[in-house]
Amino acid sequence: MFAMPVSILSEIGACVIFLRDVLRTLLRGRVPVHETFEQIWRVTMQSLGTTALAGFFVGAIMTIQFSLQVKAYGALGYLGGLATSGTIREVGPLLIAFMLSGKVGAFTSAELGTMRVTEQIDAIRCLGANPYREIILPRMIAIIVSSFFLLIAGLLMSIAGGCLLGLVFAGINPEEYLRHIPTIVTLPSILNGLFKCFVFSIVLATICTYKGYTTTGGAKGVGRSVVSTAVSTMVGLVIADWLTTLIADAVMQGFLGY
Amino acid sequence: MASPVIELRNVTLKFGAEVLLKDIRLAIEKGENFVLIGPSGQGKSTLLKLMAGLIAPTSGDVLVEGKNWRTMQGSERADIARKTGMLFQKNALFDSLTVFENVAFPLREVLHASEEEIQETVEKYLDAVGIWHSKDLYPDEISGGMQKRLGIARALALRPEIVFYDDPTAGLDPITSRKIVQLIVDLQKEMGTTVVAVTNDMNRAEQMAHRIGMVVETELIVCGTPEQTRVHPDPRVQQFINGALSGPLTVNA
Repeated sequence: MFAMPVSILSEIGACVIFLRDVLRTLLRGRVPVHETFEQIWRVTMQSLGTTALAGFFVGAIMTIQFSLQVKAYGALGYLGGLATSGTIREVGPLLIAFMLSGKVGAFTSAELGTMRVTEQIDAIRCLGANPYREIILPRMIAIIVSSFFLLIAGLLMSIAGGCLLGLVFAGINPEEYLRHIPTIVTLPSILNGLFKCFVFSIVLATICTYKGYTTTGGAKGVGRSVVSTAVSTMVGLVIADWLTTLIADAVMQGFLGY
Repeated sequence: MASPVIELRNVTLKFGAEVLLKDIRLAIEKGENFVLIGPSGQGKSTLLKLMAGLIAPTSGDVLVEGKNWRTMQGSERADIARKTGMLFQKNALFDSLTVFENVAFPLREVLHASEEEIQETVEKYLDAVGIWHSKDLYPDEISGGMQKRLGIARALALRPEIVFYDDPTAGLDPITSRKIVQLIVDLQKEMGTTVVAVTNDMNRAEQMAHRIGMVVETELIVCGTPEQTRVHPDPRVQQFINGALSGPLTVNA
């Protein structure tokens, strides 16, 4: 009866210990720079297209949804600001994380899982190198850094999408759409978005590298790791979203008086 | 007498309730070539991984150069790992790196060698195993025998004092296997390393072994030299080396 929750808890615990060990490795020496940049490039390029596309439509959707609401108050001028604020505070970071979990998370966990079952990770250890440093850190850093790039790209595309849809759907000219973005999208909104993006990318990077790294049992094992990465990251991200909202809210109210 | 390079003290390994190895005792001297033989699935590779520190025993101690894997700290572990080389049963080559980069990896990441040194060392080892011409190919683009040789070259690139070979001739034709074993023996003589090898092939075992040990039914029977092995009184050893179908060994094939 308690077997399932206990095994979930112990899995979370193992994942956190894994993250601790990786961070310890990070503090204790150099990071393979070349490999890290290669991974950043790969992750960013792999997801740039889809992120841009999704960003465009998110902007469009937000604009349509908000336009229905604000029209009633005759506040169409604020449409651009509202849509962009919603995107950067909440939808953008979450969407980027989901996107990355589908593409990069699955890829990473399958790649590391295959390296594990073909003993390549043991081989790294046998050569006196540290697998955390050689293969885990570059991938984790890449996911975290790339998600910021992708957030920016997605955001710019969402503004473009919002602009276009605002023009077509609500008849707002782009200049008017853009005018209130700086007044509504304030520094706290941006920080909030960046904070979420950072936390989500850590959650994603930890889960997918952990799942891949601890794969056992051949081809089937790799399959299992990929599936469980997909499931755990989705659940983890939603929970992280709730937690970060809570924290960000408390910080805003407590310290900044918003 | 100098202390042994590798020492196993009452090593027992269990997977769940199943006992795989029980109370193994063994001491391997410097410069020795110790060959493990035995039926499949009895724990030869596992024993090798225990020595290499990739698996921890359930009880007992594994010592390399007098240092216990169990109590070693991170940097000590890395030092010992650096002094050992391992050829894995399925080679465990880095499949996203070229042949050249596979051998260059430990030089670059562990020794932090300069590019000229790397170039020179990789050429030397790939040349020694005869695959320098394939340096720009990926591991899945070369034949099984060449993959084995690449595995050997990578295992030797850090000039290890101890080399573990897990079935260096598996799946190779008799001529290539003989060549590879000759290569192992030559490299060992040249560099004065200690070798522990796993094989199922008695001919190859006799070709390289100073001493032979047989892993069977959770035990390690240390048989002695190839000559002593041939006349070893244990019926299981006799059945194995003669490949007899009937005998005390039940083969789960």
